[in-house]
Amino acid sequence: MKNSTKPEESGALYENLRLELRRGCLIVAVLAQLKTERYGYTLRKALADDGLEIDESTLYPLLRRLETQGLLVSEWREEDKRNKRFYKLSPEGKRILKQLLEEWRSINASLEQILHEE
Amino acid sequence: MELIERYLQAVGFWLPKAQRQDILDELSEDIRSQAEDKESELGRKLTDADVEGILKQRGSPIMVANRYLPQRHLIGPVLFPIYRLVLKMAFLFYAIPWLAVWLCISSYIPSYHAQTPGDFIVGALHGLWMVVLYTFASVTFGFAVLEKYALKSGFLEKWNPRNLPALRAANRIKRSNSITEIVALVVTCIWWVSFMLSPVMVNRPDVRIVLAPAWRYYSWWIVALIAVTIATSFLNLLRPYWTCFRAGMRLATDSIGWGMFAWLCKTNIVAEIAVRNVSPEKTLQITNAINFWMERSFPIIVVIGVIIVAIDVYRIFRVKEGVSFPLFGLASICRISITL
Repeated sequence: MKNSTKPEESGALYENLRLELRRGCLIVAVLAQLKTERYGYTLRKALADDGLEIDESTLYPLLRRLETQGLLVSEWREEDKRNKRFYKLSPEGKRILKQLLEEWRSINASLEQILHEE
Repeated sequence: MELIERYLQAVGFWLPKAQRQDILDELSEDIRSQAEDKESELGRKLTDADVEGILKQRGSPIMVANRYLPQRHLIGPVLFPIYRLVLKMAFLFYAIPWLAVWLCISSYIPSYHAQTPGDFIVGALHGLWMVVLYTFASVTFGFAVLEKYALKSGFLEKWNPRNLPALRAANRIKRSNSITEIVALVVTCIWWVSFMLSPVMVNRPDVRIVLAPAWRYYSWWIVALIAVTIATSFLNLLRPYWTCFRAGMRLATDSIGWGMFAWLCKTNIVAEIAVRNVSPEKTLQITNAINFWMERSFPIIVVIGVIIVAIDVYRIFRVKEGVSFPLFGLASICRISITL
């Protein structure tokens, strides 16, 4: 078997795999954060404070997608003399989040088990 | 803050009208919140350079807008491998033969002759470009329609494992190919020995066709080649795997056969044609025309011969490597059709 991956290719490969791994986790994290109502900017800061940086061009399209799928509800409201869009989990979102967290815990436990076997 | 407005306007240009304002309001609010935070952090009003930094960090307007748009493709990942295969086949079986036919037409038909070599090259490139463009466009259009309408019918899910192609064995020769070859060659051999050995092809009271004396050598060589090929085909039937020896034999017979065919084109092979009630001038004209076109066919025969010999050489190479090659059937088809 050839192993000719150059360092820069290896870096790009790692970055792709990292993004793939993060993608699913971000959805769970966003849903979990929106148990409490927030607007986009504060949501992003809350995620960053908990160690999960997400750029705005990823977050806002994700919020729209989750809203279209019925997992979030949003409302435009004035705060500090500015119109802001507030998001929170919908009842369907709460149900799905519960299922996703169960799945995530199960995957995590399996992974821990596999890593211990190694 | 004019820079932010310009940025929003540029993002908005790429967004669908129905969602544009909603997205821009939210984006605007987010940028302004970030700008306020930055002002608090720095303890002063933001300069244009600071705002520029914030906007650059967010990415170019088209990239930002693109994140909001649904993923679109003309041909998706499911159909793409089939699309690529069909495109390759379309070029191989349409564009390349088209080029060959075009070269023949412009070489042999006087009204298509180019005035200068430059005109010839420009004409060839223009024609080829149009063929490539039409082939690419029509295949792509067909697959785009398939992607949009037919894929939803789930036709790709309707398949049966029993219909999968048989395992391809390295260098295996299909017995059906060998049998076809033997039958075709035996029939050809009988016909050749019965009617083609003498230079006097037709000798009836109303028609007489006589070939050049060179035909005698040629016809016996053909008999010998057919005999060797029949023997090889019998061996192939009994032991249906190519070996270096048999592949080498095929290379030798093909090289000699095509070499002789090319030589025949140059020998003014038709010596005399006599038809009752047709003037000798007219039959001489026909004789000259046949010989002329035989000679003009020389380059085509050479090209076909070189392709077949190249496939034969490649076969020997592959036999040594022990891997099969799907184009081997092509040489058999060409050989049988030219023998007949």
